[in-house]
Amino acid sequence: MFEFRWLWENMKGSRRNYIIALCLSVLCNGLYITAPYFQSKIIDNYISGENAIENLKNDRSGLLWLIAGMIGFTFIRTVFQYTCNMYYETASQGMIYKIRTHLFRKVENQDIAFYDRFRTGDLMTRLTGDLDMVRHMVSWVIKGAVESIALFTASMVYFFILDVPTALCILALTPFIFIIRRKLSRYAGPAYRQVRECSSALNTAAQENISGNRVVKAFAREEFEKEKFRKRDEQYRSANIKAAYVWLKYQPFIDVIAGSLSVVLLLVGGIFMIKRHLTMGQYVAISGLLWAVSNPMRSIGNYVNDFHRFVASAGKIIEVYYFAPMIVDREDASEPAERLRGDIEFKNVSFSIEGKKILDNISFDIKAGQTVAIMGATGSGKTSLINLIPRFYDTDEGEVLVDGKNVRLHRLHALRKNISIATQDVLLYSDTIDSNIAFGDTSLDEEYVRKCAELSCASEFIEELPDRYDTIVGERGVGLSGGQKQRISLARALAVRPSVLILDDTTSAVDMETEAVIQKSLAEGLDFDCTKIIIAQRISSTRKADKIIILENGRIADIGTHDELIKRDGYYREIYTLQSGEESERQVSAVGT
Amino acid sequence: MARNRYDVDEQLETPFDFTHLKRSFVYIKKYRGKMVLSLVISILSAITGLLAPLLTKRALDVTIPDKDYKELIILACALMGFNIISVALGNIRSRIMTVVGQNIIFDIREDLFAHLQELPFTYYDDRPHGKILIRVINYVNSVSDMLSNGIINFIMEILNMIFILIFMLIVDVRLTLVALSGLPLFMLVMFAIKKNQRRAWQDVSNKSSNMNAYLQENIVGARITQVFTREEENAEIYDELNRKYRKSWMRAVKFSNLVWPATDNISTIVRAALFIVGLLVLNPATVSLGTLSAMTGYASRFWQPIMNISNIINNFINNIAYLERIFETLDTPVTITDKEGAVEMPRIKGNVSFENVTFGYEEGIDVLKDLSFDIKAGQSVALVGPTGAGKSTIVSLISRFYDISKGRITIDGVNISDVTLKSLRSQMGIMLQDSFIFSDTVMENIRYGRLDATDEEIVSAAKTVCADGFISLMEDGYETQVNERGGGLSGGEKQLISFARTLLSDPKILVLDEATSSIDARTEALVQRGLAELLKGRTSFIIAHRLSTIRNCDVIMFINDHGIAESGTHDELMAKKGAYYELYTAQS
Repeated sequence: MFEFRWLWENMKGSRRNYIIALCLSVLCNGLYITAPYFQSKIIDNYISGENAIENLKNDRSGLLWLIAGMIGFTFIRTVFQYTCNMYYETASQGMIYKIRTHLFRKVENQDIAFYDRFRTGDLMTRLTGDLDMVRHMVSWVIKGAVESIALFTASMVYFFILDVPTALCILALTPFIFIIRRKLSRYAGPAYRQVRECSSALNTAAQENISGNRVVKAFAREEFEKEKFRKRDEQYRSANIKAAYVWLKYQPFIDVIAGSLSVVLLLVGGIFMIKRHLTMGQYVAISGLLWAVSNPMRSIGNYVNDFHRFVASAGKIIEVYYFAPMIVDREDASEPAERLRGDIEFKNVSFSIEGKKILDNISFDIKAGQTVAIMGATGSGKTSLINLIPRFYDTDEGEVLVDGKNVRLHRLHALRKNISIATQDVLLYSDTIDSNIAFGDTSLDEEYVRKCAELSCASEFIEELPDRYDTIVGERGVGLSGGQKQRISLARALAVRPSVLILDDTTSAVDMETEAVIQKSLAEGLDFDCTKIIIAQRISSTRKADKIIILENGRIADIGTHDELIKRDGYYREIYTLQSGEESERQVSAVGT
Repeated sequence: MARNRYDVDEQLETPFDFTHLKRSFVYIKKYRGKMVLSLVISILSAITGLLAPLLTKRALDVTIPDKDYKELIILACALMGFNIISVALGNIRSRIMTVVGQNIIFDIREDLFAHLQELPFTYYDDRPHGKILIRVINYVNSVSDMLSNGIINFIMEILNMIFILIFMLIVDVRLTLVALSGLPLFMLVMFAIKKNQRRAWQDVSNKSSNMNAYLQENIVGARITQVFTREEENAEIYDELNRKYRKSWMRAVKFSNLVWPATDNISTIVRAALFIVGLLVLNPATVSLGTLSAMTGYASRFWQPIMNISNIINNFINNIAYLERIFETLDTPVTITDKEGAVEMPRIKGNVSFENVTFGYEEGIDVLKDLSFDIKAGQSVALVGPTGAGKSTIVSLISRFYDISKGRITIDGVNISDVTLKSLRSQMGIMLQDSFIFSDTVMENIRYGRLDATDEEIVSAAKTVCADGFISLMEDGYETQVNERGGGLSGGEKQLISFARTLLSDPKILVLDEATSSIDARTEALVQRGLAELLKGRTSFIIAHRLSTIRNCDVIMFINDHGIAESGTHDELMAKKGAYYELYTAQS
C-alpha cells in the first residue's frame, strides 16, 4: 500500500515513539486480559470458595495483599496505558507536523498553473480535514487494529491451549467476517471519495463567499448565496449519510457473526460438556474471555471504514505532497556573486498558456538603470511578459536574459531576490503596515520602512491611521482604498532595493497629483540603482521612459521613445490623442516641464 | 475590537458552563421525536442484552447437567434470536441517528452561514478569512457526534447507572454507601482535570485557527511570497504556528487522557473498599457472602457507566470549545439590518441627497463631517480628490454598507435606513475596486448581476463594456471556467467581467469605484462610448482618476478634508482655479 509507505516515510523521527507506543498498547491489552485476576482470586479465596471462612479468619494479610495487588496492578496498568497514549499522540503529532510543514512548502513553491488548478477552499480541505483523517489513522485506527489483532491472537492461542475442538469451532466463524469485509471494502471506497469531494466543494463555496463578501452585499445576493451554499451542504449531508449507510448495510452481518460466538460456545461447549470433553472451568474461562475475540471481530468493520476514509483523504494529500513545480533550478544554475546589474534582454521569445499563444517572437533589450514602459490593450500580454523575467513562467521558444545570462541559468531564488514586482492585484497580509512593507526583508529598520512609504507617497495617510505603521490591515488590505493599497504595495516593492523594479499598473487607482509625485521620487529619490519596467495605461506615466514597448496581441507593435512614437501612426499616438484631449486643456502648465 | 492577526488568539470571555449545551438543544429539539425513538430502541436493546445471560445461566445450571440436547438447541436458537434482535435494534438506531446527526450539523451550518451573510463588511475586515472559514466547516463538523449520539449515550448511561444503583440499594444500603463514597473523589478529580482541560482545548482551537488563517493567506498570496522570495521565512512562521498548535494539542491530550485512567483507578479503589469494609470491618454475620459477591459485581457494573459518562463528558468538553466559537459567531451582532417596520424601497428615480452626514469607521475618527449635497435623478457625479479622502466611503454610504453617525441620506426623499436593505441594494449597481471572480464560468460570473438574465442579455452586456472580444477568444468562450484568483484573466479582464456584471443588474443608481482603472486606455474609450448610452436617465457616481472619465460628468465633487471642497461642472471648477484646477494641471 503506497499510502502506508508514505506514512512510514513521514514518520521518520517519530518511528521510535510509534513503535514503543504499539508495543505498549499490545502490553496494555495483555494486562487488560489479566486484570480480573485479583478480584476473582479474592472472590474464590475469601467469598465463594470452600475455605472462604477459614481463609478470612486466618489469612487476613493474604486478603490485604490481594487488595493491594488489585489497586497496584490497576495503577501500573493505567500508567502504562497513559504512557502509551501519550506516545501515540507524540508520534502522530510529530508525523502530522512533518507532513504539514512539507505541504506548506509545497503549496508555497508552485507555479502559477498550480494555483489555477487548485482552489483555495480545496487546498484548505486538504490541509485541515484530510490531514486530520491521516492523524486519526495513525493515532487511532492503526492502534486499534494492532490491539485487536494482538487481543484476538492472544485469546485464540489461549483457547487452543484450553481446548482445540472448541477453539476451532470459534475460529470457523472468522472467514465469514472476511467475506463481508471485502464486500464492504468495495463500496466504502467510492462512498468516501464522494464525501471527500463534497466536503471540498462545500469548503470552496464557503471560502469564496467569505472572500467575496463585498460583491455579495453589493448585489444583495445573500439569498442566492444561501441557496448555493445550501445545495452544497445538502450534497455533503447526503454523501455522508450514504457513506454511513454503506457501512450500516454490512455492519449488522458482522455484528451478528460476532454475536454468534456466544451461541456457538453455548451449543458446542454445552455438547462437549455433556459429553464430558470439556470441564466447567474450561467453559467459564473461554466464556470469560470471549469478548477478546468478538470485539476485534466487531471493530474490523470500523477499521475498514476508517481505512477507506483515510485512503480517500491521503490520496488528496499525496497529490499535493508530490506535486512538482515545472519551474525549478537547473543543475547548472549559478548563484550570482553579488547584486545583479539589471540588464534585461528578450530574444525571440514566444510563450503560450495551455496552447493559447500569449507572446509571439518578442525581442528587445533594456540596459541597467533604464526605465521602460510597456503599453497595450487589455489581454495583450503585458503581465505575462513581465512574469517571464523572474521566471514565473518559462518561455516556449527564445530566451530571456538577465545580465546577459539566460534566466534559467540563474538560481531562481537569487534571480527573484533581485527583482521586485508591485503586482496588479494588490494583496496585503492581515498584519501591520510596517510588516507589510518590510515583507521582502524583515530585518528592515523602521526608518527605512518610513522612507519607502514616503517615496511611494504612502506616509501621509499612514500617519493619519489610528496606530500609524502598527495599524493592522485586514486580509487583502480591506479597509484601505485601492490607491492606498497600491501605494503600500509600491513601498513593499521598493523596500527590497531590487535591481529590477517592475510596476504592473501600480498607480492606476492613485490620483494624478500623487502619481506625479511618485514618478518623481522613482526617478530621483531612490538610493539604489535599478532598472524600471512600468506597465501603465496613462501617457503621463510613460512619457519619460527611455523606451516604450507597445504590445498588440502578444507581438511588439512598436518600440520607441515618447517623442518617436507620437510622430508615428499607431496605438501610442491614438492613446496620446485620446488623453491629450485632456492635456490640451491644461497646456499652460504643461509647457516647460 | 481591534483587528485580528494570524498570530493573535481570539479571546473568548464567557466562562464555561453548560449553557452552550443547553443552547444547542434548540438544534436538537427539532429531532426530539427521533431522538426519543432512538432512546427507546437503545433501552430495548439493553434489555435484550440483559436477558441473554439468563439463557446461558439456565443452560449451565440446568440444561447441561440434565444432558438435555433439545433444550440446549432451543436455548442456542433463542440466544441467536436475541443476538439478531439486538443487532437489528442497534442498526435501526444508527440509521436514525446518522440522519439526525447530519441534519443537526446541516442546521447549525445553515444558521451560521445565513448569519454570516448578514454581518457587515467590518466583520470580514477585522479578522483573517481563514478563521471564519474554519468555523463554518471544521468546527461544525466536530460537534455533530456530540449533539446526536453523545446525548443519547449520555442518557443511556445515566439510566443504566440509576438502574444499578437501585439494585445495589436493594441488596445492601451500607455497602451501597461505600460504593458511592468514590463519587465525591471522582467529582473532585474530574473537576480538577476539567478546569485545565477546557482551557487547554480552547487553546487548541485558537492555535489551529491561527495556523489555518496563515495557511489561507499564504495560499491566496503565494504569488506575492514568490515575488519577494519569502518562501523560507513564511514557512518558518508557519512552522512556528504549527509547533504552537502541536504544543497546545499535547497539553490538551495530557489532560484528556487522564480522565480514563483516573476513573479506572477510582473504580478499583472503590471495589477494594467494598472488600475491606464487607469482609473486615462490618460484622460478617450481618453481611452475607452472597451479598458481598453480588455487591462487588454491581460495583464494577456501577462504575462502567460512570467511566462511560466521564468519556462522554470528556468528549463534550473537547468539542464545547468549538461550539463556543460557533455560538460566538452566531451572537455577533448584525449592525446593519432592516429597521423594524422597514418598507420596500419604491422604484428608484435617482434623486440622492446627503443631509449633514457625519461618519467614521472607528469611533472618534470622522471620515466625513457634516457632508451635504443634492443630486438630481439622471445626473452623473464624479468624485475626485486625493486617495483616502473618503470618496469610496461616500458611495458605500449610499448603499448603506455602513450606518452613519449623524445626518441622513435620502433617495427620492426616502431615508435609506427606513427601507429594506435588499430592496435598496438590488436597485443599485455597485462596481467595487476589487473585482471578485467566482469559481464558475464567465457566463455565470456575469449573470451574478441579474440571476434571471438570458444568455443573450449577458452577451450584450459584455459587448457594451467591450468584454465580448476577449471572452470570445477564450477556450470555451463564455463557458470557460475561471476561478477566484482569476485563473488566467488579466486585471483588466477581470474588471471588464465585473463591469458587465454590474451593468446587467440594470441599476437605477450606478456606482463605479475605480471601475476602469486596470483597463487600457483604448478599451476604456470604447467602454465610455457604450456607457454614455447606458447612463442616460440613470444617476451615476463615478470615482476615477482619468480626466476623460471625469470631465463629462454633470457634477464634479472634489472631496477633501472630511467633505466637499468644491463642486460644479468641469468648466466651472476650471474657471475657479481651485483644488480641482490644481489637480487637473498638476500632472506632466
